Amino acid sequence: MEIYEVFRRAGHKDPFEHVGAVTAPDPELALLMAKECFFRRAEGEHLWVVRRRDIHSLKDESLLRLPEGKEYRFPHAYRDVITLRKRARERSATPVEAS
Amino acid sequence: MTYEDRLEAFNARIEAGDKIEAEDWMPDDYRAGVLKFIEMHANSEIMGAIPERECLPSAPSLQRKMSLCAKIQDEVGHSQLLYRVAEDLGKSREAMYEDLVNGRSKFHNVFHYPTRHWGDAALIGWLIDGAALVTQASLLDSSYAPYTRVLKRICAEEQLHLRHGEYITLELALGTEHQRWMFQDALNRWWLAIIHFFGPRSNPDKDLLLRWKVKTRTNEQQREEFLDRYVPKVLELGFTFPDPVPYYDDTTGHWAVREEDIDWAPLEAIKRNEGPETARRLEWRRRIYEDHRWVRETLAEAALHAA
Repeated sequence: MEIYEVFRRAGHKDPFEHVGAVTAPDPELALLMAKECFFRRAEGEHLWVVRRRDIHSLKDESLLRLPEGKEYRFPHAYRDVITLRKRARERSATPVEAS
Repeated sequence: MTYEDRLEAFNARIEAGDKIEAEDWMPDDYRAGVLKFIEMHANSEIMGAIPERECLPSAPSLQRKMSLCAKIQDEVGHSQLLYRVAEDLGKSREAMYEDLVNGRSKFHNVFHYPTRHWGDAALIGWLIDGAALVTQASLLDSSYAPYTRVLKRICAEEQLHLRHGEYITLELALGTEHQRWMFQDALNRWWLAIIHFFGPRSNPDKDLLLRWKVKTRTNEQQREEFLDRYVPKVLELGFTFPDPVPYYDDTTGHWAVREEDIDWAPLEAIKRNEGPETARRLEWRRRIYEDHRWVRETLAEAALHAA
């Protein structure tokens, strides 16, 4: 017997997401069991099963943490765009002095 | 089932708003059309990295250099997501790269133009990414489902780029007279190309991709949305537009440009891969492609041993 991880896609616009696992002797039965366990109420439009031992996982999760000083990858780094916009608007209303 | 029966069933699916997956049956013209469209999008993401890369040395601080680098990295990442989706339609990535560097496939018109200074980084980041976002957001409901799933991520990142672009634009708008000139100068040089970006008026009878709902909106609808969204923002910063000058149309309640004011000749030249920077940018791309050959070969070797 093998453990199969079960993934479903709720709609065509969604990514596959992990919903659980089943134990089965082969992929065909794993699909059948996954269908019976997770899809009794039309929870999605597509289904995958993947043998658990075929999944490779990252050994060190800390590698996913972002190093310090990379805030510019996030929207909050630019949040004062709203105050800048207001200031720029006010300034354009007054003539600009030559520098 | 004959080809005609299948085609009829396929058209009915599209008509009903059904989404198509890579493994579904599809007419040859649908496959070829979607492939060409996504390949062009992927090419544009990777070629778009080159003009922005040219702006890097003129970044006014290390912080701005790093944030622009991060943005360029995202664009290259988008091309990788898109090439993967295109590959599933039956063309290898190798063939797509080869066609790009040999001028056999296309990339977006705006990446065929030169950059001059940091004002270009602001303009590209704000208005060109803004134009791209209008197009990409309209594709989120495309009939080809694998494309829409990667576009979701792409659009999320483009939102951030837009913020970043507007931020550096505002810094220039709030800066010295010379800094304000930098943005105005970039706008003067890029405006016509941005109008071209959406393409000439669509012909829904001839455009198979519109009929099959791969594209959901016409070129002129997208151009109008862009003008409505950005023209007022540019004007309120005190900048002015060169030809074709946008005007507010009281009867439609939308911003517009007069079709007779648009000179399409530069776009026609770009379609023949004869834009001002086409040859130089493709040469850059070819050089990068050749310089990285050893990486591809090394990885292929590793795959051979793993098998």
